[in-house]
Amino acid sequence: MAMKKSNRKPPPIVNLKYRKGELIIKENDYGISIYKIITGKVQIFTHSGDKEIALALLCPGEIFGEMAFLSKDTEVRSASAKAEQDSELEVWHPDLLSQEYDNMPPIIKHITDEALNRLIRMNRLIAQMTSRKEEEKTSGKQQNSGRRHYRKEVDLPCTYRPVGSSSRRRLNGIVKNISLSGANVEIREKTAAKFSYDPGDEFHIDLTLPGDKNVHFTAKVMSSRNPRVSGMLSLGMVFTDMREGTQKDLGFFLMP
Amino acid sequence: MAIDQMVYSYVVKEETFPDAAVIIQEGIKNDCVYVILEGNVKIKKRISRGQVTLANLKKGTVLGEMAFLDTAEGIRSVSAVAADGPVRVGLLDNQRLIHDYEAVPPRIKYLIKSLVKRLQAANEKLCDIVADTK
Repeated sequence: MAMKKSNRKPPPIVNLKYRKGELIIKENDYGISIYKIITGKVQIFTHSGDKEIALALLCPGEIFGEMAFLSKDTEVRSASAKAEQDSELEVWHPDLLSQEYDNMPPIIKHITDEALNRLIRMNRLIAQMTSRKEEEKTSGKQQNSGRRHYRKEVDLPCTYRPVGSSSRRRLNGIVKNISLSGANVEIREKTAAKFSYDPGDEFHIDLTLPGDKNVHFTAKVMSSRNPRVSGMLSLGMVFTDMREGTQKDLGFFLMP
Repeated sequence: MAIDQMVYSYVVKEETFPDAAVIIQEGIKNDCVYVILEGNVKIKKRISRGQVTLANLKKGTVLGEMAFLDTAEGIRSVSAVAADGPVRVGLLDNQRLIHDYEAVPPRIKYLIKSLVKRLQAANEKLCDIVADTK
């Protein structure tokens, strides 16, 4: 961020009023002001496709807009903000704080930066998971209406390995059912002991669909439980990455 | 990721944890800050049924900064667990960090606290989503 030290008088703090529903900050816009809520409530949200995904609801005394200020590399807004109720905000121009920011000990800057990056990643993850959940709800509804069957019961052997693992070794599992958004995979608990299968853990999975179509995707664990067969572990997974070709092959396979 | 030399200069003690060992325990009052020198670490949070993995951290990443920056509480809101093998961490000089943090101007402190609070809320929100999906 360009923060020139100057002897100019710092810009004054101004108060602005927003009506309920009014947009205060737009994601990806250039913006550097910091806002403190005096009265009212502010919704922080992001977009997934054309859907809005709520990230946080902020109350009087709370601050927003600080992420673009604290971030070293970007002045672009990482999320949007709108007035959830009629709100009065105090707007701080970053010049007010630039000298104070420059005087921050480097180690504290570094630690703050890591917390900031983690928050950006968490917000992205929340957006991804929320929109996926909604997609599943919608496809579930379509299933109930009997128009199409998106999830197919199968019994297909697959191989998998954890994303980010240095070992190239692959383990065996069985895909029990599969849809366009996820799959249910059973693995032997004995084999399973090598890795953890907590919600959020990601795996590369290879599978041959009937008709000898080889497909590859990465999927994230959403839940794990023991099925009726003892010694097995059943993983509910959602796809996190899939090539277009795979998507087509899978879509074709899933057609009723 | 390489280890930042400035961060490394704060390391006063190195510790090694075996695979799956708990480095930071959720719910405990402690504000030590670490840097991962070798290995991978999973950040986990308890939910009513089991635990949710919130992040996978690699070499060079700072650990435990949330409880440190949230000085009023200093209570661990998440756990950090050694993953995929043993992990070596460096403990940062807490006295020096506290001294440095005291030098941070009040308004910037306010921004940092707001950021940490938001991060804690985001962690909880993600846990809610996962719990709801199960």
